[in-house]
Amino acid sequence: MINYVMLSAINYPALIQYLAEGTLTVLELFFLTILLSLPLGLLVARLRMSRYKVIQLPVKLYLLIMRGTPLMLQLVFFMFFPSMVLHIPVARLPVAVFSFTINYAAYFAEIYRGSIESIPAGQQEAAYVLGLSPMQTFMRITLPQVVKRIVPAIASESMTLVKDTALASVIGVAELFKNATSLKATYASVIPFAVAAVFYLIMNSAVALFYSRVEKKMDYYKG
Amino acid sequence: MKKGISLILAMLMAGSILISGCSASTRTTSADSTAADGTEGTTAAAADDSLAKVQKAGVLILGLDSAFPPMGFVDENNNIVGFDIDLAREVCSRMGVELKLQPIDWSSNILELNSGNIDCIWNGFTISDERKAEVNFSDPYMQNRQVVIVSGDSGITALSDLKGKTLCLQTGSSAADALAANADFKASLGDVVEVNDNVTAFMELDGKTSDALLMDEIVAAYYITQNKKDYVILDESLADEEYGVGFRLGDNTLRDEVNSQLKAMAADGTLKKISDTWFGKDVTVID
Repeated sequence: MINYVMLSAINYPALIQYLAEGTLTVLELFFLTILLSLPLGLLVARLRMSRYKVIQLPVKLYLLIMRGTPLMLQLVFFMFFPSMVLHIPVARLPVAVFSFTINYAAYFAEIYRGSIESIPAGQQEAAYVLGLSPMQTFMRITLPQVVKRIVPAIASESMTLVKDTALASVIGVAELFKNATSLKATYASVIPFAVAAVFYLIMNSAVALFYSRVEKKMDYYKG
Repeated sequence: MKKGISLILAMLMAGSILISGCSASTRTTSADSTAADGTEGTTAAAADDSLAKVQKAGVLILGLDSAFPPMGFVDENNNIVGFDIDLAREVCSRMGVELKLQPIDWSSNILELNSGNIDCIWNGFTISDERKAEVNFSDPYMQNRQVVIVSGDSGITALSDLKGKTLCLQTGSSAADALAANADFKASLGDVVEVNDNVTAFMELDGKTSDALLMDEIVAAYYITQNKKDYVILDESLADEEYGVGFRLGDNTLRDEVNSQLKAMAADGTLKKISDTWFGKDVTVID
């Protein structure tokens, strides 16, 4: 008869600590990605709207691939392609940040572009007549309006990003979902998942609150 | 102008993070590149410095699915423990290197091995002919069977009773291979459900969304005992298997070293001691 090493009932303090460690990794991934992909997305949007096909077409291809293939696939690709084909060693967290960044930059780029193109062309003409340079027009006139308009969309994407960090587990990043999965196996219980859900909810509540504050601050004029 | 600079800065930051990550990861060796193509019969004779590299680095990186009790899992104090972990620790201390545990996604195990992120796969890794083509196995250290688990009250006592029923197993596991090898049995089933891990499989049985499970006997028996479930392991097994440690193709010196350490542990009784701790009896097969 096999006698196994028995585990006691769920050790909640250790469980919460383990999941909190995973949450820290989620926050790391989240903040780095947002910080990098928001500016990158703006750049990509600008390139996408370029007059020159030689710039526009590669950018369109990039947008298609990033939005058209699963993020999980992209993570696995960037994790293993460099080391196996190019023989360049890569580390897990940077690869995850990189992959998330270029993926989310694509989505942000389209959000930016949609909003920029919706600004009435009459404003550009008026600015030109008043002697403003294209760069001044964009920075002082167009961009503030764009930022105000895209806040809800960016908020949604941000909340999606918090949840998408779970995908980093496929390249072995010890984030919240992976830790919860390990504990699920240890205790053969879904309680770790329930606690993980609470952590995700807390994070996303903070995100939602932040963006609603931003929206209120931008509400100094209508439209 | 300001926007342009800030955007270039952003891209530089992205690039620098990736590059700093590259320099932080010193484990990948260029000798692995011969094995990284995944083809058999790699020119191992050329540069098999696998053991030397590990000794120089002073650390052996073990890749595991940290959700696989009792072979490798997280205990209630958040430490990764398990039968395989204890074996590996002992082998490493005898080799004079440190053991580093690297949890990975099990479905990418061979990929992680070939990319150099881990040096070995040691996690109830079943030896099979298909895997032998891609992985350099150590000598078998433990025996195992692929068994079917059913609910105590289901009335199923033999494989033939599972006609038309739903069977659940872990994706990419040797259970899946065992099922594929038993084509008649597989054809008799109503449905086969693949899940990510064995605990999810047990949940399928709990929730009665599956009628039976197929998995390693060692794992099944552990769960049933640990969680005091009313489950039954059928006597008829689908496959007899052996566990081994997986190394990269061509890493023969490393493999041979681990083999000789395991043999030494068998000879002086350490292996039996570890086995007794985890299973109450000696389940190892190294002599």
